[in-house]
Amino acid sequence: MKHWIGVLARLIVGVVDVWAGVVKFPDPAANVRQVRAFQILPEAVVPTVGHALPTVEILIGAMLILGLLTRTFAVLAGIFFVAFIIGIASAWARGLEINCGCFGSHGVPADPHRQYAVDIARDLGLVICAVWLVVWPRTRLALDNLLFPHHERLADGDESEEAVEV
Amino acid sequence: MATNQKKQSKSERAQALMRQQQRKERQRNLLVVGSVVVAVAIIAVVMVVVSGKNDTTGKAVTASGTPQNLTGAYNVVVGKSSAPTTIKVYEDLQCPICQQFEQAAGQQIQAAIADGKIKVDYHMVAFLDRSSSTEYSSRALNAAMAVLSTAGPDAFLRFHTIAYQNQPAEGSAGVPDSTLIDWAVQAGADKADVTPLIDDNAYHQWVVNATDQMSKDEVTGTPTVFINGKKYVSPQDALTAVIAATK
Repeated sequence: MKHWIGVLARLIVGVVDVWAGVVKFPDPAANVRQVRAFQILPEAVVPTVGHALPTVEILIGAMLILGLLTRTFAVLAGIFFVAFIIGIASAWARGLEINCGCFGSHGVPADPHRQYAVDIARDLGLVICAVWLVVWPRTRLALDNLLFPHHERLADGDESEEAVEV
Repeated sequence: MATNQKKQSKSERAQALMRQQQRKERQRNLLVVGSVVVAVAIIAVVMVVVSGKNDTTGKAVTASGTPQNLTGAYNVVVGKSSAPTTIKVYEDLQCPICQQFEQAAGQQIQAAIADGKIKVDYHMVAFLDRSSSTEYSSRALNAAMAVLSTAGPDAFLRFHTIAYQNQPAEGSAGVPDSTLIDWAVQAGADKADVTPLIDDNAYHQWVVNATDQMSKDEVTGTPTVFINGKKYVSPQDALTAVIAATK
């Protein structure tokens, strides 16, 4: 049962990430503006972060869908969602009128406060999925099972030694 | 006694064998993890480079790629310089809320400009190219700049009005260049002058840079209105304030 919940968690986080990245990828200039709108990062790194964002999302999502190095990429996904939550919450607190741009939306939303709350709630749900996968990274239908067949626990880079000793 | 020793050495050998196997497995796993990480890193670098190459933002604009008759680098002020009130507005020609704003206040704004009550500082941007299948947002702004360049600010304002009156729906195919040329002529531009500028999307890089400038100005949506420097982000508040300022 746990293994199948893990599959569901992988698919939820993976599909959301890939989708968010694919929608963003064709308009890099918009991603740069989006990152800048949060007024958190210094201008020197804003273009690089904007250009890298969809790639990172697509790759994290793809690795989770494939179930490849699940724990490592679940950790990365979790870090990303927490960063988004901090960004949205801080923009909300400072009264900035931005759309999160998560799915390539544009313009200022009709009711930004509701939008902020919805975005944070969604990201919290995704964090829970990611944490589940960090705790129980072994799932069904995962490439990890083919590549690291012998141990019950995950065979991630940071875990493999421990796992082999078990 | 002898059998006991035999047993022990047997289990020792089995343990040694197991340890050896585990070492081998660990090495194999490290190799697999390493290969996967390297592969992902290569794909990531390629994708980020492609993404960066797709973004021409900030690329220098040639003299012929820069619209004429601008007031600043990315704006045009329409109205008498003696007008006491300055309304600065950031708009996208594809933006439906801008259209609502223009429909509600456009006529009053134009009358107040003519009366010398206000001048309007237009910062036109194009960030809604993905709302149409033909990048209408940036093509329409290019056409508006072609009108400004060849026929001046008043003709630009007329084109701006026509474009909002005939704004294509979001998610549609937009409007072809031939229609943009018709609107430009209607606004008072010379057909022979604007046609090559519109067909060649002559000011495209300027349009890209103008849109980036909006973001650097900490304006994140359209319409955003400033009245004598005071910022109105909510379209409703902006409308009320603009109507009051034009009276």
